[in-house]
Amino acid sequence: MTHQVALTIMTRIKPGATEDVKQLLKTMSTNVAQNDVIPFGKLSAIHFARLLVLDQSTDLQGAVILPHLVFIGECDAPLDRLLDDLVDLAGEGLDKIYRHCEGYPAEGNVTRSLRLAYLRANMVKPQAYYVNTVGRTVQQILQEAQLRNAIQDFLDRSSQDWSGYSALEVRAKIVAYLRSEQTLNWANHPPAEPGLSFKLKETLHMIAVPLLLLILLPILILALPVWLIFLRMHELSDPTPDIKADPAHIQELAALEDIGAQNQFTALGYIKLGRFRLLTVLGVLMAIDYAVRHIFNKENLAGVKTIHFARWIVIDEQRRAIFASNYDGSLESYMDDFIDKVSWGLNAAFSNGVGYPKTNWLILDGAKDEQAFKDFIRVHQIPTQVWYSAYDHLTALNIANNAKIRLGLSKDMSETEAAEWLRLL
Amino acid sequence: MADTLDFQDIQGLIIRGYGNLKAACYILLAISDPHSAKIWLKALVDAITTGQAGPKEQALNVAFTYPGIKKLGLEPAALAMFSDEFIAGIVDPHRSLILGDVEESSPEHWIWGGPDTKSVDMVLLLFALNNQKLSQLYETHAQAFATHGVLEVQKLDTVDLGGKEHFGFNDGISQPVIEGSHRTALPMHTIKAGEFLLGYPNEYGLYTNGPLLKSSMDPDGFLPSDKNGSGNVDLGRNGTYLVFRQLRQDVLGFWQFIDQATKKSDGRSDPTARVALAAHMVGRWPGGAPLVETPDQDNPQLAQANDFTYYHPDPYGFNCPIGAHIRRANPRDSLDPQPGSEQSIAIGKRHRILRRGREYGPPIDATGSTQGHSEMAGDKLTPLSDQDRGLHFICLNANISRQFEFIQHTWINNPHFDELYDDADPIVGAHYADGSTFTIQAKPVRKRLTSLPRFISVVGGAYFFMPGISAVRYLASI
Repeated sequence: MTHQVALTIMTRIKPGATEDVKQLLKTMSTNVAQNDVIPFGKLSAIHFARLLVLDQSTDLQGAVILPHLVFIGECDAPLDRLLDDLVDLAGEGLDKIYRHCEGYPAEGNVTRSLRLAYLRANMVKPQAYYVNTVGRTVQQILQEAQLRNAIQDFLDRSSQDWSGYSALEVRAKIVAYLRSEQTLNWANHPPAEPGLSFKLKETLHMIAVPLLLLILLPILILALPVWLIFLRMHELSDPTPDIKADPAHIQELAALEDIGAQNQFTALGYIKLGRFRLLTVLGVLMAIDYAVRHIFNKENLAGVKTIHFARWIVIDEQRRAIFASNYDGSLESYMDDFIDKVSWGLNAAFSNGVGYPKTNWLILDGAKDEQAFKDFIRVHQIPTQVWYSAYDHLTALNIANNAKIRLGLSKDMSETEAAEWLRLL
Repeated sequence: MADTLDFQDIQGLIIRGYGNLKAACYILLAISDPHSAKIWLKALVDAITTGQAGPKEQALNVAFTYPGIKKLGLEPAALAMFSDEFIAGIVDPHRSLILGDVEESSPEHWIWGGPDTKSVDMVLLLFALNNQKLSQLYETHAQAFATHGVLEVQKLDTVDLGGKEHFGFNDGISQPVIEGSHRTALPMHTIKAGEFLLGYPNEYGLYTNGPLLKSSMDPDGFLPSDKNGSGNVDLGRNGTYLVFRQLRQDVLGFWQFIDQATKKSDGRSDPTARVALAAHMVGRWPGGAPLVETPDQDNPQLAQANDFTYYHPDPYGFNCPIGAHIRRANPRDSLDPQPGSEQSIAIGKRHRILRRGREYGPPIDATGSTQGHSEMAGDKLTPLSDQDRGLHFICLNANISRQFEFIQHTWINNPHFDELYDDADPIVGAHYADGSTFTIQAKPVRKRLTSLPRFISVVGGAYFFMPGISAVRYLASI
C-alpha cells in the first residue's frame, strides 16, 4: 500500500491551437473513462484526473500570458509507474494532445522515452496538497465499496426478520457469508499502511518544520509587527470590487457540474502585485501544506468532510495561482461550507488574490461577505474540459464509512461493538 | 435590535398563510399590453392585502416573473440586479437537473410554466372564506382582464383537506418564524427577516442583493431608500421570491407500494405496518406526531409538536430514519460540523423557507375523509382515484439558490444526504436509479426498501418575485 501523489503537467499551447485542443478535449469528455485519447479507467492508480485550458490572459502589468494546457491527476504512488502506464496505455493519445503544445517532439520522431521525458520536463509541484485520507488507494476504495454492496445484498437477499437476533449473531452471519466468498477474502485483513520510507519522511518533516521555526523565532518575533503593519496597510487600501460573473460564464460552468455525487472545482487568479502579498501567500501555503500533511490528513479538512483532494499551485513566475479540488455535492453547498466552516483558511490564502472581498487581520471577514465571496468564486472559476473520477458514486463520507466496515471485520467484538459496527450498514 | 418590519408595505402572504380563509385560487396571467396592464395594476394596488392585520373575509396578493417585470418596462440596470436564479427562471437545463425536474417531471411535459406552454408574467393569489365568496372575488377581478391587456393563462384551483395533504398526513406543521413579526418561537425556529424579505439583514447579518434604482428614476418617491447605504432607492425592500411548483401526487401508487412492502408472509395486507412504514418515510405520523418523540405509534397530543431536535434523542435514526422527509427537509441540529450543537442549528437556519402551498384535486377517498387513506391500497379504489391531485407548492425566500434550491438539491434529492448512499427523499425525491433506496435504521441491523418509484411529479412551476406594496405601485407607474 502506498501514499498519494499530485501530478501536474503544465504546457504552453502553440499559437492558434487552443481551439483544436478544446475540440479534442471535448471529444474525450463524452466518455472519460474509456475515451481513446487517454482511457482514464484503465489507469488503476488514478483517483481523479482533469485536463483544462488556461486561456490567454493579460497580467496586472499588461504582459500577455499565453494559453496553457494543464493536466492534473490525483494518483497513487509511485509516480514513475503511473507515467509508465500513461505512455504505455495512451502513448498515441498523448501525441494527439501534446502535438498542440510547445516543445513536443515532431511527428515521426516520437518515442516512448521522449514522451516520458516531455511529461517529466513539464511537471509542476503544488505548493500545498490536501488528500482526504493519506494512504487510501483507488484499489482500496473500490474494493471496500464492493464489500459494502456485498453485505447489503446479503442482508436484502436473506429477507430475514433479524429482530430476534443479537448484534453478535447478525454479525456472525455476515462474517460467515463473507468468508464463503473467495473474492472477498482480502477483507479479512486491514489495509496495508503507506511505506516505511514515506512515513519516515513525513515524521521528519513534522518535526523539522517546528524546529526550524523555533530557531527562527527571534527573527520572526521581530518581523511580526512589521508584517502586521504592512498587512493592515494593504487590507485597508486593496480595492475589493464586487464583480458578478457573466451569466454565460456561469452557464458554461454549471453545465459541467452536478452529474454524479462529486464535482470538480478549478479556480485561477492573479496574486496581488508586490513582494508583500507574494511572500504572504507563499508563507500561508507553506502553513497549509504543513497542516494538511500532519493534522488534516484523515477524512477532515478543518471541519469539512466533503473534499477528496485539493491543491494550490503558484504558476507563471509567481504571478498567478491555481486552486483545484474534488468535492461532494453542489457548488452552493461547497461555498456554504467554505463560509460557515473554514472562512479563516480561505481568507488567509485567497485574500492575497486580486478581487477577494475585504479581510481584516488576514483571516477575519472576507468570505463571510457571502454574496461577494460567491461572486468572487464564480468569476475566478474556470471550466474543466475533461474530468474523470474513478468512483463518482461515492462521497468522501461513504468512503470513510466503507473503510470502517472493512476494519471491523478483522476484530473480535463485544455485543456493544458489534451493534456499533452494524450501524455502519 | 432587529429592524422593525414595515407591515404596511409587506404583502400579507409573507406574514401569514391565511389559515382562516379556506378557499384559494391562483390565477396565472400573461401581459399582452403593458400600457393597459399598468393602469389595471395601479387600481389593483389598493386591493393587495398587507401584512398589517390578518384578513377576515378575503385576501389578494400578487407576484411577477422576470419576463413580467421586464414587460412592465423596468430599466435594464435594475432588472440585472435580480438574482441569477430569478432571471434565468426555473426552466433551465442545469436547474432542472438539480431540482430533479427530469424524466416525467421534465419541463417539456409541464402543463404550465414549461418551454412549450404560454408565457406566465404574473400570478394573482386569491383567498376567501369559502368557495362561493372566492368565485365572487375571482369574477370581480377577472372581468377587468380582457379590457386591460391581461390574459388568463390558467386558473389553478385548490381544495381544503383540513390540514392534510393527499397522502393523508397533516402538513405545514413546522414553519420558521420571521424575527420581528410578533410571533414567538424557539430560537431554532426564529429566523432573521432578511431570509424572507429583501432590505433586512439576513442570517449572515448582511443584506441580500436586490434591484436598486437611482433616486432620479423614482420621481414620485414611491420607493424606500436602500437600507444598506448605497444612496439608491430600493425596489426590492419588503419583497421576496416566491417559488411555485405544481406537484402531482400518485396517491394510489404510494399506498400500493407501501401495501406490497408490508404484506405479511401469508400475503395478507397489514394496515398497522402500512401506516407505520409511511410514517417512517415522512418522519411524522398521519396525525402529525413526530417519530423522533413517539417512534411506535401516533400520539394526538404531539400532533403539533415541533420543538424537538434530532441528534440528542436519536443520533442514529432508530426513532426517525435519517432519510425521512422531515429530517432532511429541515435537519435542525443533525448535520456537520458538530451535530447536536448550536453551530449546527445556526448553519441550518440559513436554509429555511416559508411554506404557503395548498392542495388541489379531489381527495382519493370519495367520502372526502383522509382517515381512510391507508385503506386505499389495493382493494378499495374509488371512482375518483384516477383524477389529478397534488400540491400547489409555494414557498417564500430571499435567496432562491441558498434556500429553496439548496434544500431541494443538497438535502431532498441528494442520495448521499447525511452519510447515506442511495437514498433520495422517500416521499418527494426524484428517485433516480441510484437514489431509490430507503433505509430504516434499526436494531440489530437496518431494514431497507429498494427501487422506490416516484410518487410525486412536477407538472408546472415558475419563480416569481413578490414585491413590496410600494414597489408594485412603482412598477404600475413606469
